[in-house]
Amino acid sequence: MRLLRWEALCAIVAFALTLLFILVPGPYPMAIFTFIAQPLFAIAAIGYLRKVFVDLRRRRSL
Amino acid sequence: MNFDFLQIVMLLGTLICVLGVILCIRTARTRFDHIEAKGTDVNMGIARVPALAFAKLMAFAALIALPGGAVFLANYHTFEGVHQVRGCASCHVMLPMVNDMRDPNSGTLAARHYKNGWIAEDQCYHCHSDYGLSGNLEAKMTGFRHLARYTTRTYHEPIEARVRFDNKNCLNCHAGTLKFEAVQSHRTAHEQLVSNQMICLNCHGQSHPTSVQRTPGSKDYASLTEAMK
Repeated sequence: MRLLRWEALCAIVAFALTLLFILVPGPYPMAIFTFIAQPLFAIAAIGYLRKVFVDLRRRRSL
Repeated sequence: MNFDFLQIVMLLGTLICVLGVILCIRTARTRFDHIEAKGTDVNMGIARVPALAFAKLMAFAALIALPGGAVFLANYHTFEGVHQVRGCASCHVMLPMVNDMRDPNSGTLAARHYKNGWIAEDQCYHCHSDYGLSGNLEAKMTGFRHLARYTTRTYHEPIEARVRFDNKNCLNCHAGTLKFEAVQSHRTAHEQLVSNQMICLNCHGQSHPTSVQRTPGSKDYASLTEAMK
C-alpha cells in the first residue's frame, strides 16, 4: 500500500456533507447526505479495503 | 445546561466529522512505502508502535471507523428528525397538512387530535410511525423516494399518497381502550380493521385537507402553505 489519496479525498467531502446535514438539517442537506455523502463513504471504504487486500496478498498474508 | 438526545447526537456527529476530516487529511498526506522504508517507531505514551502500523491504524480510523460512526449518527439524526412536526413542515408540500393540523377551526381528524391534546408531542409521527426507525423497509424506501422527488422538484401539487394508510397506526393507541371497545362497529369490523380491508377514515372523516384545497390556485392554498411559525 503506497497512497490512500483519492479514498481520503472522497471521505473528506463525505464528512463535510455529513456535517452540513447534522448542523443544518433540512430536506436538501438530507438528500445530499443520503444520495451523495453515503455513497462517497462507501466508495472510500471499498477503495481502502481493496488496497488492504492487495497489500496482504503481496505480503502473502492471505 | 439541559441537553436533549438530539443535541448530543449533533455534538457527537460534529466531533466525529471534524476528527474524520483531520485524520483523512493526514492519511492523504501519508506515503506508506516511505514510512515502511524508514522503519521508525511512534511513541503513544503507554507503548511504542511501528510508525507503519500507527499510520495504518489512522487510515482505518479515517476511512472505516469514523465514517461508520458518522453514517450511524446522521441516519439516527434523520430518523429522529422525522419525529418532529417541524421536521415534516420543512418540506413545502407538507405545510398544508401541518398548518391544517394546527388550525383550531379545522375539523379534520389530525386537527381534532391536535387541538384536543390527544397526542402530546410529535403529532405527525404518532400517526405515521412507519417512517421512523421502527417502521418497515417499504416505508423507508417510500421516504427516500419522497426525498428524491422533493429535492429534484419532480412532483406535482397536490401530492397524493400512493400507499394505503396502515390502520395499525391508529390501533396502536386506540385498540383495547374502553372507549374503543365500547363501540359495537369496532368489534364487528375488528378483522377488517386489523387486515386493512376497511380504513378508519370511512367513519371518522377526512384526516387532512382535501386535494382540492391543496391544489395551487384554490382559495385555501395560500393560508395552508404559509410558513410554519
